[in-house]
Amino acid sequence: MMALENAQRDSFVLLQLAERRFALPAEAVAELAPPVRLHTFPHTSSLIAGVIVRRGRILPVYDAARALSGKSSLAHRFYLVARRQFGEASEMSAIPVDGECELVTSEARPRSESAPTYICSEISLGDESVGVLDIEAFVRAHENPATNDPAEART
Amino acid sequence: MKIAAQDAPRPRHFRAAEPAILFTVSRQFFAIAAHAVQEIRSTDSIAGAASEFGCPEVPKVRHTFERARRQYYVVNACAHFGLRATRPTLVLILRQLRVAVLVDRIERMTELPSVYDLPLGFSGEERRWYRGLTYIEDHVIPVVDPRGFLTPEEFRQIEGVPAPLSSSQELEGASK
Repeated sequence: MMALENAQRDSFVLLQLAERRFALPAEAVAELAPPVRLHTFPHTSSLIAGVIVRRGRILPVYDAARALSGKSSLAHRFYLVARRQFGEASEMSAIPVDGECELVTSEARPRSESAPTYICSEISLGDESVGVLDIEAFVRAHENPATNDPAEART
Repeated sequence: MKIAAQDAPRPRHFRAAEPAILFTVSRQFFAIAAHAVQEIRSTDSIAGAASEFGCPEVPKVRHTFERARRQYYVVNACAHFGLRATRPTLVLILRQLRVAVLVDRIERMTELPSVYDLPLGFSGEERRWYRGLTYIEDHVIPVVDPRGFLTPEEFRQIEGVPAPLSSSQELEGASK
């Protein structure tokens, strides 16, 4: 695993969610955390599975795989810690991921028309095209089903 | 990216530890500031004074009682937090609010070393339910906001309901 400090402008972190590969802009990613304890309590934010404690902070955990596949990804997984923006404020958030993540450098191109709205662009890795995840759009689409993109159903 | 060891949250602001009551509802832990609670009673001890109450818009309130000439509304914490129904044994009578809360049990009194803001990612009703989160003995526990048990709107809905019938009046009506 390479240090984030070495990331370039077109660097992306590849992650595995629900048996699919996605990319995140490397500048949004802080670390890959080990599978620490998930703390749960009652709430109504549908995409959030609970919180973890990392580096002196309490971070919300977004079960993105469950939103994509209906299957929880919380068991024995790493947490990818990435930054979310809330207007002027920002917050570190954790996403359970399958196994190791990779850091790659690639040229981003516009997303295909059939891609869900939470895919903001795409990168090529050999013959494979990988969608670059827009975390904000992903959360919006899955926390408020009324705004869900029909294209998501096709993916 | 880095992989680092597990740790505990660091408080952003240092302040005196806050006395609090740890209680459970449907096996979930919650904390409430001790100064927010006026009295803790067993459900049995207030059963005689309580009247059944019904407001379809606020189903978590099913009982009310009068105390010092004030009408208190009894909120079922299981229903409030959307938890599996249990048989509550205690009532937390809140201070400065006409609210009492049915809970399963009191775990203990403690001091909250810090209360951390609820992460911004939480965008639902929990923003009204909780003042924040605390970290006690390797557990992250929500610190409830007493004002969150009944919002002003819920109070308006409840108070718009005709005065409650006492249990005995209900029985009399049923026998006619």
